[in-house]
Amino acid sequence: MSIATYAPVLDAVRGIGWPALRRVRSAVPGPHLSVVRGSTAEFVEYRPYRQGDDPRTIDWKLVGRTDRVYVRVSQERAVLPTMLLLDATASLAFPVSTNAKWELARRVAIGLAAVARHRGDPVGLALAHPGGARTIAPRTRRTVLDEMMHALDLAPAGDAPLAPVATDAMRRSARVAIVSDFLGDADALRAAAATFAAAGGELYVVHIVDAGELDPDPRRLLLTDPEQPGLRRPMSPPARVTYLRQFTAWRERLARDWRALGAVYVMLVTGAEPLRRSIRRITNPEVAARPAG
Amino acid sequence: MSFLAPLFLYIGIGVAAGALALHFIVTRQPASGVLPTVRFVPDSTVRVTTVARPEDLLLLLLRVLVALLLGAAFARPILVPRRRPVARIVVADVSPAVASIEEVRDSTRALLAPGDALIIADSTARVVRSGAEAAARRLERTSRAGRLSPALIAARRTAAEIRAGADSIELAIVSGFRAGEIDGATEAIRALWPGRIRLVTVAAPGDSLAPPAGLAVRGTPDDGVALAAALTGLPQSDSAVRVVRGVATRDDSLWAAGGRRLLVRWPAGGAPPGWLARAQPDTAGAVIAGEAALVTPLERRWALPPSAHPGRISARWVDGAPAAADYGVGSGCIRDVAVPVPLKGDLVLRPSFGRLVRALAAPCGTEGVGPGLGQAEMRALAGSGPLAARDAIAPPDQVATPLVPWLLGAALALALVELLVRRGSAPVWSEVGGEFPAREAAA
Repeated sequence: MSIATYAPVLDAVRGIGWPALRRVRSAVPGPHLSVVRGSTAEFVEYRPYRQGDDPRTIDWKLVGRTDRVYVRVSQERAVLPTMLLLDATASLAFPVSTNAKWELARRVAIGLAAVARHRGDPVGLALAHPGGARTIAPRTRRTVLDEMMHALDLAPAGDAPLAPVATDAMRRSARVAIVSDFLGDADALRAAAATFAAAGGELYVVHIVDAGELDPDPRRLLLTDPEQPGLRRPMSPPARVTYLRQFTAWRERLARDWRALGAVYVMLVTGAEPLRRSIRRITNPEVAARPAG
Repeated sequence: MSFLAPLFLYIGIGVAAGALALHFIVTRQPASGVLPTVRFVPDSTVRVTTVARPEDLLLLLLRVLVALLLGAAFARPILVPRRRPVARIVVADVSPAVASIEEVRDSTRALLAPGDALIIADSTARVVRSGAEAAARRLERTSRAGRLSPALIAARRTAAEIRAGADSIELAIVSGFRAGEIDGATEAIRALWPGRIRLVTVAAPGDSLAPPAGLAVRGTPDDGVALAAALTGLPQSDSAVRVVRGVATRDDSLWAAGGRRLLVRWPAGGAPPGWLARAQPDTAGAVIAGEAALVTPLERRWALPPSAHPGRISARWVDGAPAAADYGVGSGCIRDVAVPVPLKGDLVLRPSFGRLVRALAAPCGTEGVGPGLGQAEMRALAGSGPLAARDAIAPPDQVATPLVPWLLGAALALALVELLVRRGSAPVWSEVGGEFPAREAAA
C-alpha cells in the first residue's frame, strides 16, 4: 500500500491532536508540557536562588526592589516519543474474504502515527509477525510515515508473541499504543505493560474486534482457530449462547484490567464508525471513556 | 398420450431416480469456517448420525419433478384421441360447378360427424378441423373455378393428421363433378389416396359447351351472332338467354332479373353500356371465353374503365384485357360484350366463332365448368376396395406438440422454486454434549 492508499486516512485525521496524559520527562522541546522548569519565555513563578542555578535566570530588577535573589522559573515543553505496536498475526486476518480486522488495525496505526508526527512527536512502529519482529525507531522526519506504510504492506499470518516486541517498544518511547485483538499472549503483554505504566509511560490499548466475532455467522457450524488449527469447535445454538456470554465477559475483563493499569482502552469494531471518530476516541481519553457507539 | 421421443422420458426418469438415490446416499456435512475467538465456544460434542430417511423432502420432490418434467418435455408428448372405427374427411365443393350451395350444405352436414374434418374446396382448399359442422352450415358459393386436385392433396395431408384417431379414413367428395374440375394431375393425385372415395353428386349448372336451354338474338336478320348461333344449333328461345345486338331496354334488364336468366348486351355498333372508347384503337390477335378461343385479328375499340367493378370477367383479349364483363342483377345476370363482329368475311361462319358465341351465351359463373364426368371417369375417381387404412397413410413429418412449452415452463418454475427453497433451508442440529466431537463431524 502506498501513501495514495492511505490518503483518506491522512485526510480523516487532519486537525486531531494527541495531548500527553501527564507532563513528559523529555528535555527535547516539543508540544507537550514538561516536568522540567526552565528559563523560556513562558513564565510560571519566582523561586529563591539556590546554589547551582543559572545566574542568567536571576531577576535583577526584583533583587533591586527586595534585596533578595530570585530566579525566574518558566514552563518547558517537550516531545513525547510514541511507539505503535501492531499485532500482525493470523487472528487479524478475519474475515478471511476481506481481512477487515487487519485493514482497520493498520489504518488506525497510520492514523495515530500521522496525528503524533503532525504535532512534532517522534513516532515509530513495532510489528509482531511470525516472519520476525519489525521495528522502526521513533523519528520525526517526514519519511517515517512512508516507512511505516511499507512495513504494514503484508498479510497477517501465523502466531507470534506480542510481549517481547512490546517490551522493546516500551524501552524506546514514553507513549505506546497497542493495536491488537489480544487473542495471543495477553497476560504476558499486560505484565510487560504494567512495568511500563508503573514507570510513568503512557499506554493506549486499541482492541480490534470484528462484527463477525460479536455475531458469528449462524451458517458456519464448525469453527477453527486460525492461529491454532487444531482448535475446532461446533457452534450449535446452545453453544452460541455460551459463546456470546463468554466473549462479552472476556472483553469486559480485558477492558477492566487494562484500565486498572492506567491505560486508555478503546474497542473498535470493524465497520461500526468512521475512522476519524475512532482516532478521536483514542487520542481524547474523555471521549474514549464513554462507551463505544 | 404417447411420446415422439420416449428416450428422453427414460432419461428423465433415470435422473429423477438418481436424485432420489443421492438424497438417500449423501450425508450432510457441517459447514466449516474460521473464527479467531473460537476459544470462547464451549467444548462440546456433535452427535453425527446417519439418517435412513432422506431429508429435505420438499427439495427432493421438486428435483424429481423438474427431472420428470424436463424428460417429458424433450420426449415431445402428443395427445392421442380415442380411436374410432372410421374418421371421415368431407370435401365440399363450393365452386360454380355446383348449382345449389344449399344442396352442398345439406349433403355435407349429413356426412359430417363429430371429429370429422371438412375441406372447403374451389380452386383452393381450406381445411376445417374444429367446428366442421358449423362451417358446413355457413358454406357459401364462390366464383373461383373448381379443382379437385388441391382438395385431394389437402385431404391426404389431413388424413396424416387424423390417422392416429381412427382405424380407417373415408374420403367423401360433395361436388357437381364437372369436367372442368379435373386437370392433368388429378389422376396421379387420386392414386395417392390408399382407398376408395365416396362421391356425393349434387346438381350442377348448365354446361357452357352444351346448348343453352334457349337463346334469342335481337338484331338485324343478317346479324353475325344470330347466324353463328343458328349454325351451331342453339335453339331459338327467349326463355334463358337473350342477346341484344342493339340497345338494351329497361324491360330487358327486368327480364334478366326476374329469373335465372342471362341478358347479353353485345351492340353491333358502338360500345356496351359503361365501356369507354379507346384513345388509340388497336388490334388483338385472339379473344378467349371459358374454353372457347377465337384466334383472329380483331379491332379493339372499347375498354372497360378502371372505375367499373364487374362481378367477373367472362372473356379476355389475348393480352389479358377484359373483353366481356358480367354483372349480377336480381336472380339473373347481365353480360356486356365488347368483341366486334366483322361484317365482312367468313369469320362468323367458322366453328371457333360459334364456340365463342356459345361460351358468351353460357349462364354466368359456369364458364370452365364443362360437362359432367362420365361413368368411367367417376368410377376411376371413386376407386374400389376398402376404405383407406390407418397404416396405409404416412404420419405427418411435423407433429404439433402443444404440451411441450407448458412442460418446459413448469420445469423452469419448479427449478426456481427449488433454488429458493435450497437457499432458505436452515442447518439442522442434533444434540450437543460430550467432549471432542467436531473432528468427527468434519471427517
